[in-house]
Amino acid sequence: MATHDADPRNVDSDDVEKSSRAPSSSRPLIDSARNEWQSHSHSHIAHPPSSNDAHNTPQGMQMIQSLASAPRFRRYVIIYPAILFLGLLGWWIAVTPRLQEQRSLLFSLDPASKDKFGGWFGTNSPPRFDYLIQIRNLDQALVPLALPEGDKDQSQRRRRLIVIGDVHGCKDELLQLLKKVSFAPADGDHLIFAGDLISKGPDSPGVVDLARKHSASCVRGNHEDRSLLLRHQLVASNTLDKEDADDGSFTAKEQRERALARSLNEEQARWLETCPVILDVGSIPGMGHVVVAHAGLVPGVELEKQDPATVMNMRVIDLDTHVPSWDGKGVKWVKIFNKHQSLIASKNKASSDNVSQTMTVIYGHDADSSLSIRPYTKGLDSGCVKGGKLTAMIIEDGGKQNIVQVKCRDYRKEK
Amino acid sequence: MSLMGSRVNDYESHEDIPTQKYFHESTYVKLFDLLGVYRPDEISCRFSSFHHHYDDRFANDTLPYEQVIPHLKALMQTYLSTMSAIGVETWIMHGTLLAWWWNEKIFPWDNDLDVQISEPAIHILAKSFNMTQHHFDLPSVEGGRNYMLDVNPYYVVQSTEDKLNMIDARWIDMSSGLFIDITAVRKDEERRRKGNPEALRCKDRHRYHASEIFPLRDSYFEDVPVKVPYAYTELLKREYGSKALAQTEFSDHRFNEHTKIWEAMG
Repeated sequence: MATHDADPRNVDSDDVEKSSRAPSSSRPLIDSARNEWQSHSHSHIAHPPSSNDAHNTPQGMQMIQSLASAPRFRRYVIIYPAILFLGLLGWWIAVTPRLQEQRSLLFSLDPASKDKFGGWFGTNSPPRFDYLIQIRNLDQALVPLALPEGDKDQSQRRRRLIVIGDVHGCKDELLQLLKKVSFAPADGDHLIFAGDLISKGPDSPGVVDLARKHSASCVRGNHEDRSLLLRHQLVASNTLDKEDADDGSFTAKEQRERALARSLNEEQARWLETCPVILDVGSIPGMGHVVVAHAGLVPGVELEKQDPATVMNMRVIDLDTHVPSWDGKGVKWVKIFNKHQSLIASKNKASSDNVSQTMTVIYGHDADSSLSIRPYTKGLDSGCVKGGKLTAMIIEDGGKQNIVQVKCRDYRKEK
Repeated sequence: MSLMGSRVNDYESHEDIPTQKYFHESTYVKLFDLLGVYRPDEISCRFSSFHHHYDDRFANDTLPYEQVIPHLKALMQTYLSTMSAIGVETWIMHGTLLAWWWNEKIFPWDNDLDVQISEPAIHILAKSFNMTQHHFDLPSVEGGRNYMLDVNPYYVVQSTEDKLNMIDARWIDMSSGLFIDITAVRKDEERRRKGNPEALRCKDRHRYHASEIFPLRDSYFEDVPVKVPYAYTELLKREYGSKALAQTEFSDHRFNEHTKIWEAMG
């Protein structure tokens, strides 16, 4: 454009406009042709569209010029509605959905809605299952303490809980992580696994042995659940030590699961079976009531009444009925759970210690959302076995929390 | 296990589809099944010889209302213990699974029970236990009761087009004619060919993934051990909708949240 404007004959934009529109004006077109493009080849390559630009720009310029020179009133008439429009658009795009979500979460948790929809999930008598422990309480001697007054009393031993997300047989990464957090069992550290120690990765039995060696606590993940159920079935049918016939009676997935169930020895299986569906850590100073569950909890349902298969598998929840789903579309359970807890917290604001009334869930299972730390839910599955990270959450005395991660190899490629 | 090796021919082609219904409940059911129409209980009583939840070879009248549930309980208990004794894997499904989920008891308004078995299991039942009668001494029943396992000979027809014979076998209370419907869960070769290696189906056209049913879980139903499918809530939700797991009013009964019992309303 600069070269174009430099031509004195083209300074008058009206002139150019006329000539481009009506070739048969006063002067023949050939008069405007010059050989300058040969000497400035680079800048002139882009010239051809300029006939178009010459056609539009002056009009736009003119409009802006006239607008600028117009009385203030005219400017405001255009500028203020534009600002208003952008503001509304922004509100509509960014704020409204959030408000709507908050409203629907509140509506979902309103006891009046329960009557409207005829009831909520969790009123049934929870099913009993063999070889499955619903709840265990963590030994209170392992739970972090309140910070000593004045920070001077060092005589009391420190306590740390180290909660680890889905390991999936990635023993090397687990060892690295323990090193990185300077795990010291003799110095008040206790390990808790949030489920899915096994399956998918390279060394499931090795991970179980490591957990046993450190007297770790654990919860039952969906992979432990499947594997243990299958192992019972193999024992019952007297086929634990037998090879499956390769006659197509089992799918590839079934073959993998059967091999995993057989790879666990009696002690490993028995240890995994002691992992409850819900580990009740108890009250941690500064954090309130803390529980560990593999996939999640349905808000408003007592721990004893939580449906075990749901706790090991859920991802989303239906706002009307509170019925959870293992996959598919819906509102993530953490959203409604956090809303529920924040309502409890605000109700108890008057009392001095409003934290102690609330519950925080530490969970795994949801590698798609990766690390997900919210006020009352702490999601620790960061997809280690898929080449993501292995996550540990460290809870210290006084409820101080830290996240430590190590990178993992992508074990999917190595199969 | 030699039984499992002897493979029965599969009948898949259209000409092989039976034109006869094996299990007879009533003339009415046949007609409505053919039309594919839902059949409400009231009409069935009016049109049928007597009732579609009673096998008319063993009874010609329905039980008094208060005797139905005790008979169904005994039916289920005897079925489960028989299958367990002969080593056939079976699990509850449909309305029976929903009833289990609420309180491990049969719904007070129910008059049928549904169970499933695996494909190898139906072959075992057909080969070695068809038409066998089983006597049970029951605590409050003088002289005990006889039960019969009756396998539908058309169980070999795989096609879901065989709408007259969707039920593969029955466990029948010979004293009352009440029965349990037994359906075999088969490999769905058609869907497997289309790239779903876990596809399962029944002749009653229900479709499943293998990992939704297996591995089975061990629980209790009417105080006896029972197996339930792995993903029970997911299966129930798909079949009956979310509300079936939440609403506390069904069929003129209300679920008492404290006693965990379905109580008759009104």
